[in-house]
Amino acid sequence: MPPRAKTRDNSRAPISITAVLDAVGALAAGSVRGHLYLYDTNKAGGSTGFGTEELRTRVRAGDRVLWNCLALECEAFVGIAAIEVDRAVIEPERKVYPGTDVAYWIGTVKKDDIDVVPYRIKFLVGTRTEPIVTTLSPTLVG
Amino acid sequence: MPQQLAIILLVDVANALEMKTLEGNAYLFDNMKLHGSEGQGTGELVTAIHGSYWRDGSQATEQVLNWLPYSLGSIPPTVPRGYEAERARQTDREALSELEAMVHKPANQGGDAAAQLSHLQQTLGTRVRSTRRTRGPATQKILDVTGNVISYDGAAAHTYPPPVITDIYGEAVDKKIMYPAEYGSPDMVTDGWYWSATVDSTRPGTYAYTMAVQLHRLLLQGGDWTWEPVDLTCESKLRIVSEPKRNAFTKSGLGLLPIPPA
Repeated sequence: MPPRAKTRDNSRAPISITAVLDAVGALAAGSVRGHLYLYDTNKAGGSTGFGTEELRTRVRAGDRVLWNCLALECEAFVGIAAIEVDRAVIEPERKVYPGTDVAYWIGTVKKDDIDVVPYRIKFLVGTRTEPIVTTLSPTLVG
Repeated sequence: MPQQLAIILLVDVANALEMKTLEGNAYLFDNMKLHGSEGQGTGELVTAIHGSYWRDGSQATEQVLNWLPYSLGSIPPTVPRGYEAERARQTDREALSELEAMVHKPANQGGDAAAQLSHLQQTLGTRVRSTRRTRGPATQKILDVTGNVISYDGAAAHTYPPPVITDIYGEAVDKKIMYPAEYGSPDMVTDGWYWSATVDSTRPGTYAYTMAVQLHRLLLQGGDWTWEPVDLTCESKLRIVSEPKRNAFTKSGLGLLPIPPA
């Protein structure tokens, strides 16, 4: 019998994944390669690859996962346009912090036996209209 | 005056509090990768600072550095200044109008008063008590990482206030390579304080410095939530070289004017 998915647990903080993007570097190169640093808050739970594009975030069914991003230049704009991931595992949704237009993406991990699930983040950078997509893949690991 | 340079200190606050150290829980960045800064995104950042000189060899200007401390997995710094205070006021207003609606309802249409009260409690959230000693940067209400107030029993999901740099000292300061100080931004009402330094770029070498960083732990004391300050330190380095400054936009700067060759 497959493990039962836990119900949504709002009393625990979500696992936050923060993308630090060197906006100037990414715009100059037209790529985030070498200009993107990913971190999450689950180091104690076994996440690895901190500070690289290939962050491996350890998750379990029922975990909420939240993505947000920071610009390395504090005056530059960066945002997340989309997160492309297997929707059978997680369906991230765009939300905003109440009373602001600052966005984050959040979803709940649906199942436990996920092994390794790669995903892609599409970034909005500066005034560029076309999003810049991750080249090396960060992953969610079970 | 050259561009001011920024050093971002990103701290995994929850893990740092748990492990009682910033080692492995602090990640540093600067915007000087083009100048040869090393260790971006790790705890081992070496910030490269190019000297800047006039043609006769005399020093042109010093370099200005700014430090920006952020908390990993908290409400991002891109929300407006004083966001916690603003959310506390917003939720107070929401709760007041809910209460007003309850009071003005005719007695026989009251519904389940207990359920209404519990909903009101959710809207109000939980206040953090502040004392002179524990006055943290976010002493308003407990917020979660999505910016919503949380009530007493949900406090485990709270967001951490950003780390606060309380001092910068060590070799680079002792040797008079940099002169750090804390400044207030024009937004004096909220927590608009930041550390900045001028760097003497005439003496090449690698110099270490230490940041004293204050984190805040949410504690339940005598029935009240308080922010307990926790002081930790974190080391970083500056490397001053005598190479000429380059223009970050044109990537040139060896000629008289910072324009690229035709």
